[in-house]
Parts: sequence; C-alpha cells; structure tokens
Amino acid sequence: MPRVVVTGLGLVIANGVGVKNAWEALMNGKDGTAEIKSFDTSQYKVHRACEVKDFKLDAVFENETTANTIHKYTYTAAREALEDSGLSDIAGNDRERFGIAVGTLAGELPPFEYLLRNSPEDKANGFDMGVALTYPPSSITTLLSEDFGFEGSNMVSLNACSSGNHAIAWALDLLYEGKVDVMLVGGGELIPQTEFTHFHNLKALAPEKCQPFDKDRKGLVIGEGAGIMVIETLDFASKRNANIYAELNGSGMSCDGHHMTAPHPEGAGAIMAMTNALTMARVSYEDVDYINAHGTGTPLNDIMETLSIKSVFKERASDIPVSSIKSMIGHTMGAASAIESVVSCLSIKNSAIPPTIHYKTPDPQCDLDYVPNEGREMKVNCVLNNSFAFGGNNVTNIFSKF
Amino acid sequence: MNKKAVATGIGVVSPLGIGHQDFWKNLVSGNSGIAPMEYLDLSKYECKYGAEVKDLNTEEFLGRKGLRYLNKGTKFLGSSVKMALDDAKLEMDEELSNQTGILIGSSLGNFSQTTDYFHDIAREDPSGLSPMQSYDVALNSSINYASVVFKLKSFARTISSSFTSSTDAIGNAIKLIQNGKANVIIAGGVEQISLDLYMIFYMRKMLARANGTGSEISMPFDKRRNGFIMSEGSYVFVLENHDYAVSRGARIYGEVSGYGSIFAGGRNSDTGKRVEKAGNAMKKCVDDASMSTDDIDLINANGNSGKLPDLIEAKAIKELFGEESNIPVHTVKSSLGESYGASGAMQTASALLSINNGLVPPTINYEEKDPECNLNVVNERLEKEVNTVLINSFDLSGNNSCLIVKKHE
Repeated sequence: MPRVVVTGLGLVIANGVGVKNAWEALMNGKDGTAEIKSFDTSQYKVHRACEVKDFKLDAVFENETTANTIHKYTYTAAREALEDSGLSDIAGNDRERFGIAVGTLAGELPPFEYLLRNSPEDKANGFDMGVALTYPPSSITTLLSEDFGFEGSNMVSLNACSSGNHAIAWALDLLYEGKVDVMLVGGGELIPQTEFTHFHNLKALAPEKCQPFDKDRKGLVIGEGAGIMVIETLDFASKRNANIYAELNGSGMSCDGHHMTAPHPEGAGAIMAMTNALTMARVSYEDVDYINAHGTGTPLNDIMETLSIKSVFKERASDIPVSSIKSMIGHTMGAASAIESVVSCLSIKNSAIPPTIHYKTPDPQCDLDYVPNEGREMKVNCVLNNSFAFGGNNVTNIFSKF
Repeated sequence: MNKKAVATGIGVVSPLGIGHQDFWKNLVSGNSGIAPMEYLDLSKYECKYGAEVKDLNTEEFLGRKGLRYLNKGTKFLGSSVKMALDDAKLEMDEELSNQTGILIGSSLGNFSQTTDYFHDIAREDPSGLSPMQSYDVALNSSINYASVVFKLKSFARTISSSFTSSTDAIGNAIKLIQNGKANVIIAGGVEQISLDLYMIFYMRKMLARANGTGSEISMPFDKRRNGFIMSEGSYVFVLENHDYAVSRGARIYGEVSGYGSIFAGGRNSDTGKRVEKAGNAMKKCVDDASMSTDDIDLINANGNSGKLPDLIEAKAIKELFGEESNIPVHTVKSSLGESYGASGAMQTASALLSINNGLVPPTINYEEKDPECNLNVVNERLEKEVNTVLINSFDLSGNNSCLIVKKHE
C-alpha cells in the first residue's frame, strides 16, 4: 500500500482568505463572526454568522448564477492548493490519474433561494438555466474538473457535517488502490437561509458567539467557506520533488445508528471512529499530540466529544491539547472537517496550534486542555481530526509529520 | 486485494413493482412503468410523462411509528433496505451491526424536501416553522434514517455524482469489501421524482419532447429517440465478503467484480473525446475485474433515449468491442425511464437477475434502427445463459462509470 502525503493547501474562511491570512487570523484568535449580510434575518432571534469577508474572485465564470455558487470558494481554494503543490498545470500527465472529491452539506441552495425569495408564489420560480446547471451537487466537482483538467474519479460527498472528511477518506482509498496518483479533496459550503432556519428552529444556534467546551456555550454559529488539499502518493510526490506538509496516515469511519439529530450520549460512534482511525493509521493513542476537535459549541456535542476522547486516550486525555477553530470561523457544515484537515496540516508544518476562543468558564463535564483563547507554539507530530455529523455519521482522519 | 464482494440480498422499490420478484416479472414481460405523471401538476409544461413508484405500502416494511414525518425518498430507501436485509436473511446482532455499513448513491437525495422547506420559509414567518418540518430534509437524511432504523453502525456514506451516483456507490462498496475494510455493506441508489428534478431536466431540454415535438416514449438507440423519461425508485443490495457469505450459508446472486470511473472533461468536450472516455471507463472496469472484453456476454447499457448519450455509448461500445462484435446490448430504461442517481443500481438489479434467471429483458419500443447506433439491441425477451454483465453509466456532464457483475461459481 502506498504512503499518501499532503502537498498543497487552500483556504477560504470567515476570518481570512488564503492560507497565509487565514493561518495568521486563526493563531491570533480572530473571530470571523458578524451580522449576516446575504439575507434578511429580522424575523429570527439570531442575526450573526461567519460569512466570508473581503473576498474577491479573480476569475470570470460563465454566468452570474455560477458566480454565486460554492464554486467561487472551491475554485479559489483549489487554485491556491494546486499552485502551492506545483500542480496548477498538469499537461503532460495522465489526466485520468487525477481525481476530485469534495464534500458539502447543503450544496448549491443559495442561487435557488435568491430567485424564489423574489417571487415566492410558485416553487418553479426558483429555477432558471443557471440553477438547473449548478443545482445537482455533482456540479461542485464537475466544474473543478473542467477548470483544472482532472479526468479521474469524481464525486461529491453528501454526508452532512462529516462530508469533507468522507471525501478525504474516499480519495485516500483510491490512492491506496493505485487507481490515481493525485486527488484534489476538500469541502465547500455557503450559508443557505434554509440551513440557518433549520438550525435556528432546532434552537441549535448561539445568539452571539460560538464557545466550544465553555460552561456557558449556547450552540453553534453557522459559517461558510472552503478548504481544499492536494493529496498524492509519496512516489508521485517524490518524483516531482514536491514540498510535503504532512502524511495522511489513515481514516476511520463509524455510524451511531442512534438518532437522526442527537449524538449517542456516551459517544459510542465517536469512540469507534477515533479507534478505527488509529488502527487504520497504525498509530498508537500515545503518539497523538493534538486533537482538532469537532467542537461545535452545542451542549450535547462537546460533552460527548470530551467523554469519547477520554475513553480513547485514557490517562493521556488531559495532556493532549484539544481545540476547536469553530470558535472563530463557525460551523462550516460540509466544509468544516476539510477546513480543519487543512489547519491540522498547518499545525504540523508551523509547529503551532490555534486556540479555542471565547473560552471563559470551565465546564466540569468538559475538563480537557482546550487551548483557551491563546494559540500555542509547540512541536506537532501527529494530529487527529474529528467530524461528527447529524445522523451520527462520523469520520476521523489522522495526519502526521513526514 | 484478494477478497470478493458478492450480492446476497436485493431490495427494489420501482415503477415496475415493489420487491425484486414483481420488478423482474414485469421487466421481462416487456411491461412499461411509464405513464402521465400524477405526482406533479405539469399542465403548464410540454413533457408530462414519468415512471413513478406506485403501490408502495411503506407500513409493511417500516411499521407505522413516525411514518408521517418521513419523505418519499426516505420511504423508498427504508423499504428497499428492509427488503434487501430480509432477502439476505441477515441476523443483525450487535457484532454484525458494528460490521455493517451503508453506502448509497443519490444525485439529489432529499433536496426537494429541503427546497419545499425553503418555499415555506419564503412565504411565511420562518421562525414559526416547526423543527419537525425540517426533520427529514438533509440531502442524506434518508440514509441517516436507514442507518438508525436498521442499526448500520460501521459507517454511512452518501455519494452524489449525477447520473453515475449509485454506480459509484456500488463501486466504492465493492472496493471496501475487496480491501478488507468492510464485511457487509448495504449499497445502492435512491432518487425521487420532484418538481426540482423535473425543472433541472426540463430547463436543460433533456426530457423526451422537450423541444416541443415528437412523442413521449422512451426508445433508447431507436432513430426516433428524442430525450429521456424521468423515473424514480430505490434499489439496494446486501453486498458482503464472499467468505463470510459462504460461512453463513447465504444465497449468492452474483459477484460484483469490477468498477471503473473516468471523467470526460466536462460540458465542453466534443463527441470524439466523450466516446474515447466512455470507452476508457469500460476498459478500466474490465481491467479491474481482470477480464477481457471477450469475457463479457451482455451489456446492460446506459441507453436512456437521449439523442447524444445513446450515440456516444453506441460508438464507444463499437470502438472497444470491435466493429464486428455482435454482443447483445439491452437497456432497462425503455421500460423504467431514467432514474438519475439510482440508475446504476437499477441496472445492477436487472444484471443480477439476468444471471440468475438466464433471461435478458427486452428493450421495448426499439423499432427503427439508427445506423449511427449500430448495436445488437435485444428488443425481445431473450433466453440466454448470462455469466458476465457490463453495466454502463454515462453522463453528459462528464462522469462515466461502469460495473461488472458475474455469476458466482
């Protein structure tokens, strides 16, 4: 089985566009939360979210509808990742050995919402040619394939909040099988009013800020953006002398099989995902030195995640720093775990871990080291990145220093 | 990669009947599931036909509890998973539950309920909508539902890749089994007819009669073809590691032994490149199964009555199998319509049943040969020993995926 490495990164998130800006913002604890601009929230009790700011698209897409899709973020992040890895032009390679996998929760809802909001009587008013072209979620990857000339396997992962990690896990298997040399992987999301309303009416949204693991945490803050990575076999990377951020050691999946929206109270599925990931990656629980948490800031998730970390890491649990960047960039849903995977690789490369901001009051039920409020410089050899979705759909990925 | 993935259970919710027995009986009899659409009011539109699922008594499969919160797609998938599990006679204890995953392909999932929810948001005070209204509206919520109800705890994954979604899901599932990463996987596809699905196809002029002329008949590879008829349903399989299936004495329908997937370069690719890439996908799949094209004795075609897609497929088959090849080609979409993300699974059901019954269902409505689609199209029910079937899923937006199903020896 070949080894698989990460050679390029791209980020578009609420507190920074581009890997350099985003990383600085994350290490400085910059909060990306602000009043929502993309739709009117006057009828809701919550008015804030983590929208991407200062974003300028420096490409021309074929029509306005396409330009207002996730594609603007995934394209930007993918281009950054490909330039970073030295693969922005793959002419001369066997294009069928370059594939794409991207995760999303809501797909391209906003262009439909925009049309229907203006004439809501008949649902058919939500569709025009642009919507018809981009509405099937698969458009997210087919557009990227067209942009960059990748002709290998191509899929969109629709697995709610673990979509990004599912896409990465699927791509990893393709690389292991030897079917492809390079995979462009990640996640992308916008903030549809539909999903905002869904979380709002489930009373899952925090009114002001996201405070993972804090005793006074009030829920999640919804976010948007994209995180894209280039992963490839070590052989392929070595032959072209690519710069390597980290090794992707393995991935573990599980499913709670418990409830449509609530996690398993003792974290049975989360424990299984982390355990499977450690087994697949052939990494001992003693080797992990940072956990990039799912940490949504909802009362149930953070207790469940803490319990499951304690169960997997036993006596070491309180020694391992665990932080949630959702405190700064919100819950970017299908993109979240992909963005966190990018950040995990940056932690390894830069020997530093971003903080959990807005952390004030310890919760006796959440008693780990959450890297409160201040980023930390430390050598990071091995990161475990968790994602737990509605429906109990869990995927954990493990990255380590190469 | 020394393990084999075999199918031991089939669950079908289709426009030609509920359960694989009725589905097969109607399919080989040349019956059609296509009729004027009842679910949607299409009085304003040119294209009015569809292949809808009728007579699904969900209660029989999922019980009465909580049924009123479930959407159509969730009922389809849940019922078909139940049928497949029963058919495979899997006794779900805790150990097996932890070893069983679910991997489903669907292009839109429950998207139409998500957008129905937004339709309410746009017309009413959104903060007043009940959370139960959004209970089953995630794109993958039908898969979540099935994982919760049937305790499928190894993993749950939903793949969306347009027309090839369920082909890719089944392909992914057999790889996980072959590589020893999973023991049992419930794999397949689900798609539901909705206004959303209709509008996507209608606007892009993909449906029969979309240009305002001709009739609404699904007639793949026929010279008169003028677009496809949309369809819905759910087709799932219990796929398991061969040795495990044998150890528990399971009935084996066949082995899914090969998978290949290629992207054709997108909407702007010319026909020549599309033909080449469709051929490469078939080739890759045949190679993956460690076979040659000579070993294939039936092609279960993508052929959906689309003008360009059928032409591309016919040319690609000729290029790969040789101009002289007389390999029988049939498509179930003449009777069942184009089931989008569920089509690959629909074709897989037919392929497995062909192998087990020594029968090829007829490509109905095939009357006038298109010289550009110079294939040996099976247009009457054919009795024939079938050992190996190549399944094609091709999509104009670029995805091309294939599977190989073969007789279990």
